[in-house]
Amino acid sequence: MSDTADPRSGHPGTRVYLAVAAVLTVLTAIEVTVFYVEALQPVLLPLLLLLSAAKFALVVMFYMHLKFDRAAYSAIFIAQLFIAAVVIVALMVLFAVFLGGVR
Amino acid sequence: MEAVLPSAEQPRAESYLSGAIWGWLTTIDHKRVAVLYGLTALAFFLVAGVEALVMRVQLARPDGTVIDAGTFNQLFTMHGTTMVFLVIMPLGIGLFANFAVPLLIGARDVAFPRLNAFGYWLFLFGALFLHASFFVHGAPDAGWFGYANLTDRYFSPGTNLDFWVLALLILGISTLITGLNFLVTIINMRAPGMTFMRMPLFVWTILVTAILILLAFPALTVGLILLLMDRFYGTHFYDATVGATPLLWQHLFWLFGHPEVYILALPAFGIVSEVIPVFSRKPLFGYPMMAYSTALIGFLSYGVWGHHMFAVGMGPAAESTFAATSMLIAIPTGVKIFSWIATMWGGSLRITTAFLFSLGLIIEFTIGGLSGIMHAAVPIDLQQTDSYFVVAHLHYVLFGGSALALFSAAYYWWPKMTGRLLDERLGKWHFWLTIVGFNGTFFPMHFLGIAGMPRRIYRYAPGMGWDLWNMVATISAFILGLGVALFLVNLVLSLRRGAAAGGDPWQARTLEWWTPSPPAEHNFDRIPLVGGRDPFWGLKHGAQEPAVAAGAHGPMLEAAPPDAIHLPRPSFFPVVLAAGIVLAGIGMITRLEAVLLGGLVVLLAIVGMGFERSTCGEGQQPATPTDRGLGVLDNRKVGVWAFIGSESIFFASLLSTYLIYQGRSVTGPGPADILSVPLTSVSTFVLLMSSLLMVLALAATQRGDARWSRIWLLGTAGLGALFLAGQVYEFYHFYHQGLALQTNLFGQTFYTLVGFHGAHVTVGVVWLLVLASGSLAGQLPARRSLAVELCGLYWHFVDVVWIVIFTLVYLLQGVTGP
Repeated sequence: MSDTADPRSGHPGTRVYLAVAAVLTVLTAIEVTVFYVEALQPVLLPLLLLLSAAKFALVVMFYMHLKFDRAAYSAIFIAQLFIAAVVIVALMVLFAVFLGGVR
Repeated sequence: MEAVLPSAEQPRAESYLSGAIWGWLTTIDHKRVAVLYGLTALAFFLVAGVEALVMRVQLARPDGTVIDAGTFNQLFTMHGTTMVFLVIMPLGIGLFANFAVPLLIGARDVAFPRLNAFGYWLFLFGALFLHASFFVHGAPDAGWFGYANLTDRYFSPGTNLDFWVLALLILGISTLITGLNFLVTIINMRAPGMTFMRMPLFVWTILVTAILILLAFPALTVGLILLLMDRFYGTHFYDATVGATPLLWQHLFWLFGHPEVYILALPAFGIVSEVIPVFSRKPLFGYPMMAYSTALIGFLSYGVWGHHMFAVGMGPAAESTFAATSMLIAIPTGVKIFSWIATMWGGSLRITTAFLFSLGLIIEFTIGGLSGIMHAAVPIDLQQTDSYFVVAHLHYVLFGGSALALFSAAYYWWPKMTGRLLDERLGKWHFWLTIVGFNGTFFPMHFLGIAGMPRRIYRYAPGMGWDLWNMVATISAFILGLGVALFLVNLVLSLRRGAAAGGDPWQARTLEWWTPSPPAEHNFDRIPLVGGRDPFWGLKHGAQEPAVAAGAHGPMLEAAPPDAIHLPRPSFFPVVLAAGIVLAGIGMITRLEAVLLGGLVVLLAIVGMGFERSTCGEGQQPATPTDRGLGVLDNRKVGVWAFIGSESIFFASLLSTYLIYQGRSVTGPGPADILSVPLTSVSTFVLLMSSLLMVLALAATQRGDARWSRIWLLGTAGLGALFLAGQVYEFYHFYHQGLALQTNLFGQTFYTLVGFHGAHVTVGVVWLLVLASGSLAGQLPARRSLAVELCGLYWHFVDVVWIVIFTLVYLLQGVTGP
């Protein structure tokens, strides 16, 4: 088993992949710990969203190679991801206004 | 200087139209697929037209007795559904984009020809499936918008809406595939030198339409899946009595529905932008602004859906926002209208039928746009909602703003498709009958709406003041029908004895006219090297010839035709695959065995398609330099990224449903009672580590290390299976703790969201096992590492979706929804 990928691919080698896996594991462990720490409950939402976003970004950048591939792939994905995020936020806000009064 | 190049350049092959029935069944040629779309959509146009005429006869006089209320409901539902999904969209995209886009961009076909054919067969079978409802228990009858709770099993116990839900899901897959195909084709298959700002405007509009399809259809798909679960599995996603709300359907539907208006209109705008310059004998005025306004319309169209819902009372902030965005979208639309007028201004106009229909669109769509701005104003909209004023508006937009352009395109591109001209005299009769009939039918509906006539009523009492305009509308509808009949006569006469068209009958500007009429199967002997906008005009009139002679901008064509032009072979798998999907749909209504049989056919067809080509996973980039502004991209990789992006919207819609309903269950158990963070943490770790093995598999394949490639692929599949086993255990455990799918809102949203993610993991595991088998058979050398990379992209996407689900569902379980 070699340490590097095919250099023509422009992808990182095994060491980078293992390092990313280690960081993902640590971040997951922090997420679970945060969930159980009573003192962190007031900031649970932003903290968990931040940790989740970090994990998301690591996988997309290193395992899906967006950091190393052509920018066009990033543009295609990020544009649609942006719309996906807008859909969630917009629907949450709209229903917060509408259902807030009938809860 | 007149064109001499077309016929001289293309001596190689016979027309794409020749060939036997088997050839049409297995065709993957974009031009043949376009013809198939055209014939099918034309047939359904006639069906929808007859439905409309029957409704108009019923409403011609007060107390109409031609049909009963139930039949009327079925007719207006099927008329709307048919015109949107089976006529205007397939004519704009399936017929004209399919035929023209590859020719306009100098390509030999679309990016994924087999998927293109699959999209058509799925469209045909889906359309037939929908119309089969007429012969079972009656057609769908809840309107083309299918508002909840009209669609609930309790209020609609027959199979009418089962057909509707399943057919729209099938048609949605077809449309998504087509959109994906055009996105990749336009991004990646343009001729060298054809940068984005040199693309014909029609290509621009199809590019934005394809993006809109990828962004809009997943929301409809989710809405339909929830409805399907309500009807088939006893859930209550839209039932207020269990804490849900019917408004969720409206939001999901109009999240799709308003972009859909532009999915219908943008190709029409593109057609007009091609036709007007040719018959004005001028370049398109303000090309950059036209391109930017197309993109801006696409962007804004995704933020205006709420104006369809002013009457539900979303609150002043939301209503003001949607009112503002709806008014904003008039600006880029206005830019287009002014550009078309400026193109004609000072031009040497040739008043052909194609030109007249485009001119008609400008006028009629402007009328529809003006009444649209009225709807953007909340107080006015509240007065007009559900009245005939809205019927008038939507027909001025969708018939005046789309169908007229489709007629224009028919007269414009028919000679290229068939090699024969349509009769201009009959064409002008067709045009004037259409304009008179259309305005006579729909303009009076403004008056009827203002006079208070509600839409969707099947009869009305005398003395309401509606009699005169209803009679005028009915008579005019038959005039419109007469115009369509003349058009059909014109088509038939042209095929029998139409004048030969030649390569360039209109003295046109774009590359499709450089080919003979009809074009050869491979479109171009030599791929053009594009040096500017309107490349064929430059080629004919010498604008670029001095540069060629001087060698300043390189040659206008490939130096020489390749020795052999390789076109993909015909395939019968697309039609088999589509048949399998529809068979499964039929089984949903009839027998479980048909679902299983359909699933088996689908599986075999996919495997067959996978092994049909010996080049699976190998790069297929052109050897010629490609100055298109993006460098060299792989079709399949662009396709997978676009698909993943579309899947993001799908999961975003599912996640939104979960979050909106979080904490709204009227009975337990809730998330805090049942979710196990320790167990799921382990599952999450397993899935994250599977992503590590996946990239190691890719690295090993790229190195040519087949043994480790296999080990990592099997390891990834194994961890995926372990994750699924954890999910099965979790579901089993929850079920025995009292949480079934139908128990409460939490149960149905949780099982649906997590279950769909699990289904994606299952597909990934199967894909990995197929790759591992290929590796074992020695079929996965380093040059085919792309096959592993594509599977990896999908797998990692499934992983990141889980990262989000783990956080929002499991870790934030105590945070209630809105």
